[in-house]
Amino acid sequence: MPPESAIVQRTLEMLVLKALSLAPMHGWGIGQRIEQLSKGAFQVQQGSLYPALLRMRRQGWIRSEWRVTENNRRARYYFLTVAGRRQLGIETAAWDKAAEAVNAFLRTQALEGNQ
Amino acid sequence: MSVLTDLIIRARALLFRSREETELEDEVRFHIDRDVHERVRRGEVPDKARREALIAFGGVERYKERVRDARGTRPLEELAADIRYALRGLRRNPGFTATGILVLGIGIGATATVYSIVHSVIVADLPYPQSDRLVRVVEQNSATSIWALSTADVTAIRERQRVFEAWGEIQRTEVAYSGSGTPQHIVIGRASAGYFRAIGIPVARGRAIEPADEAQGAPPVMVVTDAFARRTLGGPDAALGRSLSLDGVSHTVVGVLPEGRDELGGIRAVAFPVLQLRAPTRRGPFWLRGVGRLKPDVTLAAAERDLAEISDALLPLWSDFRDSTARLTPQPLRDVVVGSAVKQVGLFAGAVALVLLLAIVNVATLVLVRASAREQELAVRVMLGAKRSRIARLIVTENLILTLSAALLGLGLATWGLDLAVAQLPDMPRIQNASLDWRVIMLGIGAAVLSGLLVSLSPVAALSDEGGLAPHAASRRTGTGQRTSAMRAAFVIAEFALAWPLLVGAGLLLNSFVRLQRVDPGFDPAGLVAVGLSLPAARYAGVADVLRFRELAGQRVAAMPGVESVGLTTQIPPDQSGGNDNFNLVHRPVPDGEAEPNSPWYYVSASYFSTLGIRIIEGRSFTPADTADEFPVIAVSRSWAEHYLPGESAVGRQLVQGGCYNCPRTTIVGVVEDIRNLGPSLPMDAVYGPMSQYGGRSMQVVARLRSMTPNVTARLRDELRALDPELPLDEFVLTEQLQASLADPMRWAAVLSAFAACAMGLAALGVFGLMAYAVRQRRREIGVRLALGAQSGVVTRLVVWRGMRYAAIGSAIGLGVTLLLANRLRTMLFDVSPTDVATFVGVGVLLLGSAFLASWIPGRRAARIRPIEAISSE
Repeated sequence: MPPESAIVQRTLEMLVLKALSLAPMHGWGIGQRIEQLSKGAFQVQQGSLYPALLRMRRQGWIRSEWRVTENNRRARYYFLTVAGRRQLGIETAAWDKAAEAVNAFLRTQALEGNQ
Repeated sequence: MSVLTDLIIRARALLFRSREETELEDEVRFHIDRDVHERVRRGEVPDKARREALIAFGGVERYKERVRDARGTRPLEELAADIRYALRGLRRNPGFTATGILVLGIGIGATATVYSIVHSVIVADLPYPQSDRLVRVVEQNSATSIWALSTADVTAIRERQRVFEAWGEIQRTEVAYSGSGTPQHIVIGRASAGYFRAIGIPVARGRAIEPADEAQGAPPVMVVTDAFARRTLGGPDAALGRSLSLDGVSHTVVGVLPEGRDELGGIRAVAFPVLQLRAPTRRGPFWLRGVGRLKPDVTLAAAERDLAEISDALLPLWSDFRDSTARLTPQPLRDVVVGSAVKQVGLFAGAVALVLLLAIVNVATLVLVRASAREQELAVRVMLGAKRSRIARLIVTENLILTLSAALLGLGLATWGLDLAVAQLPDMPRIQNASLDWRVIMLGIGAAVLSGLLVSLSPVAALSDEGGLAPHAASRRTGTGQRTSAMRAAFVIAEFALAWPLLVGAGLLLNSFVRLQRVDPGFDPAGLVAVGLSLPAARYAGVADVLRFRELAGQRVAAMPGVESVGLTTQIPPDQSGGNDNFNLVHRPVPDGEAEPNSPWYYVSASYFSTLGIRIIEGRSFTPADTADEFPVIAVSRSWAEHYLPGESAVGRQLVQGGCYNCPRTTIVGVVEDIRNLGPSLPMDAVYGPMSQYGGRSMQVVARLRSMTPNVTARLRDELRALDPELPLDEFVLTEQLQASLADPMRWAAVLSAFAACAMGLAALGVFGLMAYAVRQRRREIGVRLALGAQSGVVTRLVVWRGMRYAAIGSAIGLGVTLLLANRLRTMLFDVSPTDVATFVGVGVLLLGSAFLASWIPGRRAARIRPIEAISSE
């Protein structure tokens, strides 16, 4: 069993879905794009992308296809499916809600601290 | 949706594993190359760039392995690997594999065969709608004395009963039928309209027997089986309306039973003609089988009360029957049809269960011995990091493959065994329906899985034993044995314990068979032949016709060359039971309200005694003067005289025959020597009346020949056929009849002996294997002993003594168990007690003797060990 905790795994999947929602991409490209989009905030261990990609393929959120790159090499490209796009929506909403709740919680802490 | 995608991806991963691997390889390589390219573009040195890229990726092999895990095919791949490994292991040890599969295969095959028989004979419902509501009604006056119903009985039941929604009667009999070609006997069941309604099987074509058909003088009709219609009447449709002659009486076919049905209510027959009853003139004779269908809410107990009232009402109506203890009693029809088969099949099932257990124990021993031989290999695996659970799984997989192969072999054997059993036991009710259905197949597979898990128990237990497979065990030669060798010893003890009941059972049956064979029939069967025939009432209406036929038949046969003498009788010995009658001695009548005694009753010609060589002990034989116009006379057998008239002369005594108190008294005129009329194991009470005072139409013509010639029965038959070409004739050679009467006990003795031989072989194999293994394990120790000067005889004795100890402990347990079980065999034994000392001693000697031999061989081998080699080889 992979050692990543469930939270890390889910976050990684969310990032991958977001990265693919812009355009289909191969594994290395996904890693690059996540780094760019997050302005270097997320440093993904690149190898860990591949088990995640396979799991997501089995979920039906993405599909893959071998294509030729601009440098004339064969690479496996990943595409977001309709189910994947829906999943991204769900993940985003869930994340917003969780973030809001955490923020609210943290703010309450601060108020109490003032008294 | 996603479930389907998931399945497709997993299946592809499993089926195209090498392509998946190549793709993974390509993908990872592309990633690294692309990363290196990017880093070089940014100005890094290629070597360093590659190193950095690999670090950023984070362990190529580690993530490849994670991807493989993520495919979700791991458990299946491991299973496949286990199976491959197990098959390799089994192939490497062909002796072990073949023995295991064969031993267990025979066990499972025998179990599957017997279970199919048990199911179809005992367990399966009768093939009628709501068959649990069908009951047979009998006359009964004690637990063992049960007989059929009379016309008076069924008339009363028809009129008074309130518990059955349908009630009917049937009589099974044989009649002469000459459709095309030679006349033959066919079995028919004369049935009433109510019988068809009670059984509840509608006819496939035409109609069933109806109440109007039962009236005296109504044109006789019948229902035939589909098979009979196809065989002789040109098919079920053509059969309707045809007229057939049964015993010379024309019957019209009005209905045909559904295809495949050859019996009604347990009476197997080819045709079911109407039963037309005359109004009764006395309580007896008892000749009908009555069957009723209980109303939905009526219990058996309620039916019993209702019928008891009818019994009480009947008693005062008829003066010829005075047994006030006789009761009309209902029995579930299923019990009647299954009958005595329960006991025989039960014996069979018990024996086979023991054999299966023995087979499992034996395979368990084999597996354990093999596991110990592989201790080193497994220890090395543990040392190299294999998990114990994985090794346990390997062991279980291997054993399951072994036992499932055995199940396959066993089920194959069972199809053959079942054919054999059906052919060998034709008289067993319902055995024809026995087949290997899904239940039996599940049973075979279930037995295989269960025994696979059972035999895995001990090696797996040894595995989890902490000291057992610790890595250092690899270098230790003998230490691990403690626990497993205790298990092996327990197995061997169990084998001997299980073999005991089988051997004793076989011994008792064989013993009783030998005694049966030694029984003197009381006459010399060599040169005796008989032809049985039955004169149809339609052509031999009067007694005079019958008498004339008998006279002519006797004369013609006596005139044949080579015939020494001729006699007539109603039944030939042995086994042709039939005529019985009740009687009451005039000078010593039974007390009021008690049943009159009942005896086998034969009618014979005077020359019958001389033809069979039956000596007249007292009084006289019959003479031509004993005609139907004279007072009735009888001769009785010696046993009869000793039984009913102990210490007095029988000749001259008188009795009332068949409850007919208005008839003239019957006088005993002679006492004759006993013969085994009913077969070797039954009492020899017999009453003989003169043929000349008997108007019955069935008879056997018995001839003693000077020498047996091959076609003599054919000549005898031609001689009688010349008198009446329409008669169906049955021929018998009396020596063959005597042999045939022993066929059943012989069959049971043979079956149980086969099981017992298996059991003894398995037990001997078990102790041999154990001792051979022990000698191999303790080679060094024995070598040291021999080197220190131990006599080789002492070493052999040591080994033999240990083997014998296990056999003795097992035998003690087996002896106890057998003593508890033996009584169940009592009814199948003749002249042998179920605890016959000689048999038990014999079995003990046989089993311990085989144990001695089986441990002596490894014992000898131990004594021949060369000390130097044994010590240095380690």
